[in-house]
Amino acid sequence: MKRIVQLRVNGVAREVAVEPHHILLDVLRQEFDLIGPREGCGIGMCGACTVLVDGVPLSSCLMLAALAAGKELVTIEGLSTGSELHPIQQAYLDHNAFQCSYCTPGFILGTKALLDENPSPTPGEVREYLSGNLCRCGSYVKILDAVLDAAQRLHSASEAGGVSGSLGPGANT
Amino acid sequence: MTTFELLEPESVEEATNLLAQHGDEARIIAGGTALVIMLKNRLISPGYVVSLGKLDELHYIHEETDGTLRIGALTTIREVERSPKVQARCPTLARTCGQVGNVRVRHAATVGGNLSEADYASDPPAVLMAARARVRARGPRGEREIPLTDFFKGFYETALAPDEVLIELIVPAAPPTTRSSYLRYLTRSSEDRPCLGVAAFVDVDDRGICRDLRVVVGAVAETPQEVDAAEKLGIGQRLTAELIQTIAEEYARSIDPLSDLRGSAWYRRQMVRVFVRDAVQGALDDGKA
Ligand SMILES: Cc1cc2nc3c(=O)[nH]c(=O)nc-3n(C[C@H](O)[C@H](O)[C@H](O)COP(=O)(O)OP(=O)(O)OC[C@H]3O[C@@H](n4cnc5c(N)ncnc54)[C@H](O)[C@@H]3O)c2cc1C
Ligand code: FES
Ligand code: FES
Repeated sequence: MKRIVQLRVNGVAREVAVEPHHILLDVLRQEFDLIGPREGCGIGMCGACTVLVDGVPLSSCLMLAALAAGKELVTIEGLSTGSELHPIQQAYLDHNAFQCSYCTPGFILGTKALLDENPSPTPGEVREYLSGNLCRCGSYVKILDAVLDAAQRLHSASEAGGVSGSLGPGANT
Repeated sequence: MTTFELLEPESVEEATNLLAQHGDEARIIAGGTALVIMLKNRLISPGYVVSLGKLDELHYIHEETDGTLRIGALTTIREVERSPKVQARCPTLARTCGQVGNVRVRHAATVGGNLSEADYASDPPAVLMAARARVRARGPRGEREIPLTDFFKGFYETALAPDEVLIELIVPAAPPTTRSSYLRYLTRSSEDRPCLGVAAFVDVDDRGICRDLRVVVGAVAETPQEVDAAEKLGIGQRLTAELIQTIAEEYARSIDPLSDLRGSAWYRRQMVRVFVRDAVQGALDDGKA
C-alpha cells in the first residue's frame, strides 16, 4: 500500500507516494526526474547509483525509498550552484576523467565524500576509497588525477576564503 | 519484487512483539545491503519487513573499564572500522571491517546485519569468533547471550529465533600480550567477497611459549571453521616455523572446503594451508592486540 513520505533531495523537501518495496534509485529517477543516479549493477558493487545520504555515500539501488524519509539526500544535480560547477565537477571536466560518463556522477559524489572526510588524500587513499566505483571505460588514471587536483583546488579555494559551490550535506537548508 | 508492509518499531520490545506476531511472514531490515538484494532476487517474499532504523538505542560503541567493547547492533561496519576505541582495543577487527566490500556498503551495513546474515563469505565473523566475542539477543521471552562459537549454524542460518533481535556485540578484552592478524584472500576483483579469510589470535608469554592460540578460517565452508586439535598442537609450545607449518597442515586436513566461483574445494584446501601458516606467523611478527 502506498504511503506518503517526505524526501529531502538537494535541499528541497517534497512529499511523494511510494510503495514500501520501491527502491530509492527508481524513485529519484522517476518521481524526481533526477537522472544523475544510474543503475549499473543493482547490487551495490559499481557505484553508478551513488547518493550522499546525511553526507555519506550510499548505493541508492540498495535502499528502500520509504526508509530515506527524514534524511538529507544529495545527488549530482545538487552539487553545482546555479550554473557554476562544483570544483570537483570542474576538475573531472578539465582532466577528461571519463569517456561515456555513465559512472561519473557516482565517482564525483564518492570524491566529494572522500574529500569532506580527508581533504588531502594520498593517491593510495583515493584508490582505496573509490575502489568500489567501477568505470567500464577504464578512465581510472584520469579520475585519479582529477581527484588529486580537485583536492588542491578545494584547498586553495578555502584558503582564499570560502569555496564556491561547496554544498555540504544540508548546506542550502 | 513483491510488495510487503513496512513496519518501523520505535523500541526493541515493539520490534520483537511485531516479529512474534507475524512469525514466518516477517523479516528484519537493518542496513538493507543483504536484505534488499534477497528481495530483488525474490529469494524471499515476506509479508512484513520490520525496520530497525528507528532504534537509536542500538547505535553505539562503548568501552568498559576492563577493555571489553560493547557494540550496538545498528553500528555500521564503517563506524567500527574508524572507531578509535576499536582501533586501540582490537585493531584487527577495525582493519577487517575496513576491508568489507566497498565504502558505500560499509556505510550502510550494520554489525548486527553482517552477523545475522550468516553468509559464509563474510569477513568479520572469523575475526570475532577468534576474539571469543559473543552477541546479546532479545526476544519476547527475554534476553540471552550467545557465544559466536555457537552462533553460526549453517548457510544463512544462525542460533537466533525468528522473533529475536540481535542487539549487541560484545568483544572481550584480550590479554595485553595477545597478537592477532586477519588475512583475506581474494581470487577475483578487489571489492569481492573473500575466497578465504583467516583470523589468528596468539598469546605468547615472555619466554616465547604459546599460552593461547585461536585460528578461525572463514569463507571456506558453511560456517567459520576452527580446528581445536590443531590449536592444541601449539599451546604450551614455542611456535617455530615448523610447528606453525604442522598446525597449518592440520587445518588443511581437517576442514572440508566447499567449491564456488571463488575457488574449488581442492584449491581452497591448498590455500587454507598457506594462509593459516601466514596468518599465525603474521600475528607473531607484527600483530598487536
Ligand atoms: C557489494 C557488496 C559487497 C560485500 N562485500 C562483503 C565483504 O567483502 N565482506 C563481508 O563480510 N561482507 C560483504 N558484504 C555483505 C555485507 O557485509 C552485508 O550485506 C551486511 O553486513 C549486512 O548488514 P545489513 O545491516 O545491511 O543487513 P540487512 O541486509 O538489513 O539484513 C541482513 C540479514 O540479517 C537480518 N538482520 C539484520 N539485522 C538484524 C538484527 N539486529 N537482529 C536479527 N536479524 C537481523 C535480516 O533480517 C537479514 O536476514 C557485501 C555486500 C555487498 C552488497
Ligand atoms: S547500481 Fe547501485 S551500486 Fe551498482
Ligand atoms: S566513463 Fe564510461 S563507465 Fe566510466
